[in-house]
Amino acid sequence: MVAHILRLRLALLLGAFRGDPQKVTRGVVGALLLLAATVAACWALLGVQESSSAAVGAITVFCGATLTLAFALAPIVAAVTDPLDPRRFRVFALAPEPLAGALALAGLLSVPVLGLVALVACAAVVWVAAGATVVAAIMAAIIGVATCVLFARVSLGVAGIIFGDRRSRELSGLLLVTVLVIVVPVGVFLASLDWRGTVPGPLQQVVDILSFTPIGAAWAFPLLFTRGDASGVLALLIALGTVAALGFAWLALVRHFLSSIEKPLTTRERGGLGWFSVVPGTPGGAVAARSLVYWLRDRRYLVNTLVIPVAAVATVVPLLIAGVPANVAALVPILFVALFFGWLPHNDLAYDSTAIWMHVASGLRGLPDRVGRLVPILVIAIPVLAIGIPISVALHGRWAIAPAIVGVCASLFFSGLGLSSIASAASPYPVTPPGESPFQQPQRTGSSGAVPQALVMLGSLAVSAPSLWWTWLALTRTIEAASLALWVGVATGLVVLVAGVAIGAAVFTRRTGRIMEFAEAS
Amino acid sequence: MTAVAGAPVDPALEAALESITASETRDEVDETVVPEADETEAADDSVADDSLVDVSVTADSVDSAQSAVATIDGSTDLVSVEAEDAMPEPALVLRDIRKSFGDLQALDGISLEVPVGSFYGIVGPNGAGKTTTLSIVAGLLRADSGEITIAGVDAAAKPVAAKRLMGVLPDRFRTFDRLTGRQLLYYYGALRGLPPAEVERRTIDLARAFDLTESLGRVVSDYSAGMSKKIMLAGALIHSPRVLVLDEPFEAVDPVSSAAILDILQAYVAHGGTVILSSHGMELVERVCSRVAVIVAGSLVAEGSIDEVRGEVSLEERFVELVGGAGELEGLEWLHTFSD
Repeated sequence: MVAHILRLRLALLLGAFRGDPQKVTRGVVGALLLLAATVAACWALLGVQESSSAAVGAITVFCGATLTLAFALAPIVAAVTDPLDPRRFRVFALAPEPLAGALALAGLLSVPVLGLVALVACAAVVWVAAGATVVAAIMAAIIGVATCVLFARVSLGVAGIIFGDRRSRELSGLLLVTVLVIVVPVGVFLASLDWRGTVPGPLQQVVDILSFTPIGAAWAFPLLFTRGDASGVLALLIALGTVAALGFAWLALVRHFLSSIEKPLTTRERGGLGWFSVVPGTPGGAVAARSLVYWLRDRRYLVNTLVIPVAAVATVVPLLIAGVPANVAALVPILFVALFFGWLPHNDLAYDSTAIWMHVASGLRGLPDRVGRLVPILVIAIPVLAIGIPISVALHGRWAIAPAIVGVCASLFFSGLGLSSIASAASPYPVTPPGESPFQQPQRTGSSGAVPQALVMLGSLAVSAPSLWWTWLALTRTIEAASLALWVGVATGLVVLVAGVAIGAAVFTRRTGRIMEFAEAS
Repeated sequence: MTAVAGAPVDPALEAALESITASETRDEVDETVVPEADETEAADDSVADDSLVDVSVTADSVDSAQSAVATIDGSTDLVSVEAEDAMPEPALVLRDIRKSFGDLQALDGISLEVPVGSFYGIVGPNGAGKTTTLSIVAGLLRADSGEITIAGVDAAAKPVAAKRLMGVLPDRFRTFDRLTGRQLLYYYGALRGLPPAEVERRTIDLARAFDLTESLGRVVSDYSAGMSKKIMLAGALIHSPRVLVLDEPFEAVDPVSSAAILDILQAYVAHGGTVILSSHGMELVERVCSRVAVIVAGSLVAEGSIDEVRGEVSLEERFVELVGGAGELEGLEWLHTFSD
């Protein structure tokens, strides 16, 4: 059976190069890119041979752990369909143990794993050059590859169980954004470290921890053995334990898949709902999904969102002209981004135009309406801030200021959302109706909206004043004020957000009649 | 609802009650008043186990303390619950509703009663206040004064409970038309608090009934006027309301679709639902409605069964008479001599 499945796997692999020319081209280009990346990575890896043993250890452990993590997460994020899904073998009445083994073995035969094998071979060479024994290097290579392959299998299986058929492009997009939110700051941080000759202190600390985790142990033990203490044995045990645990998990998954069937209804019915299939099936979840569709599809929202980064960066120019030092000016745009993002939904309700009748007629309560409407801005703004803050701080040059910037951004953004929640229910003002050009001025019959606009913006600046003050202190006098700015900022932001949503909800529930009159009039 | 144990036992009733309690626990009914069996005065209407109507029992049977089960007509697919000694609670009562927009007095003391199970038409000339009346009934606008009672629920005191009893189809309002048809129906259902699986099941049924199955994947803004009307009507039905409030439901709908919609509405009324609609089409109102109200300049000028209102003549003639006639054609003499 093992031979059968391996042959099947090989046929699937070669099948990627047959059929639809477009698909084949994509497959070939992908494989070539991967090949190029592997060659480059191998080249770079062999290049560190000359470095010190510590540097080799740090680099191989860090990169190895990252790769392992990628193998564990990629199947969840990328929503791939596994051609060798154990569920497809259900009809053959196979015993789970041999099937699990054969499928894990077949997992070796994939393009990414082949690239991994090449890389690991180079790593083994480097380890030996750095003083590890040949036996240890070969063992580490085998255990490492096994860990990656089993991780990929298990997370494919788990993803199948968790997401089932709720899998959608939207969910994959969200997960990808989440990964970016984590990867970019880390990358920016690493790039800004001081690499001259030695391993930077913070990286060494990270590596010391990674060496004894399931994702890093396999890559760490060959060189830890050269130290002569028990740490090498410990890492080896962790690595072996990881493989064993993953093996058992995989076996359990195969057994589960072979002995259970999913509810057949879901696929058909969940189809075509887009964001609605990602959110919980409550009124608030539905409002969130509807808002997400509009924020990502309606030009009026898109224009608003896209203007923000441009406007924020533009603020730097006058500051520089006025003689503000460049490293301080580098911190300003991200604060404006946070402020504008918090301010953005202050008239969200008006964008619905008369369609708001659906909320009113269904007796929707204020809270699900308010909370649901904030979801898209959170989904958009948090990644932008998470990526923008490290870049700003890196441009500024001093990482100790980072907590203060996080604090001020949290304060500006969340308090802005809180105040916006009140403003959009209490005093909506006319906007361009759906479907018209976002640049067209609406026919204004009532107020022009200057008051709520100004109140929300000035209000969020006012409540953020303490956090801004401590940030200023951290910049100019004592850096210790940075952590104070962080906590004060986060606390103010969350308090104003919760209070604002609660008040906004009460206002919405109470003012539905007025809101409809406004919608009809504008 | 276990207190109904005093009533005669019947398998069909038990099944109906089970579905009632099941849907009750799903909805968040906090002010639950369990009616005592011996206090039963009136059972206000019939309960169908049709999928369109099965949730409608919940809010009302809980909120109006009067409603309870008295006698059972246990046919297999229709559990008819009839009144024992009192008149059934009307589906809608309006008392002296007034509404003004600035200087314009839109409604000047409208009072009317819509009995349960009726197909009620509201007619009137343009700008008479039909849409305003229906908007106030639907809870979209607030009246300046007056009382509204929906199936025994005071709309001013319990707006959420009252809204739960109604399905609404407004005429001039937009809908969230960037959603696909499927998403829009899901949105209707989810806003009403239905569980997702139930919404999806009903979406399929409604799409089939309204002949929209092929279009569910398309964005609603690409729909024709008639199709958007149909999907909004489907959305109004998705939580199986007790009362349907429809503003101009047949405008822009082709004859085939409008016949299909009429079939659905008539089946709904036959199973105890109440339809209140406004229309310009006198012929249609005359054909399908059981009762009619004529509103002119914000006041009710005639109300009653079709026969009572029209008397000897057709409804259209009677309507023109009530509104004040077309008047003599004056001041347009130049139109009678052509300029070329």
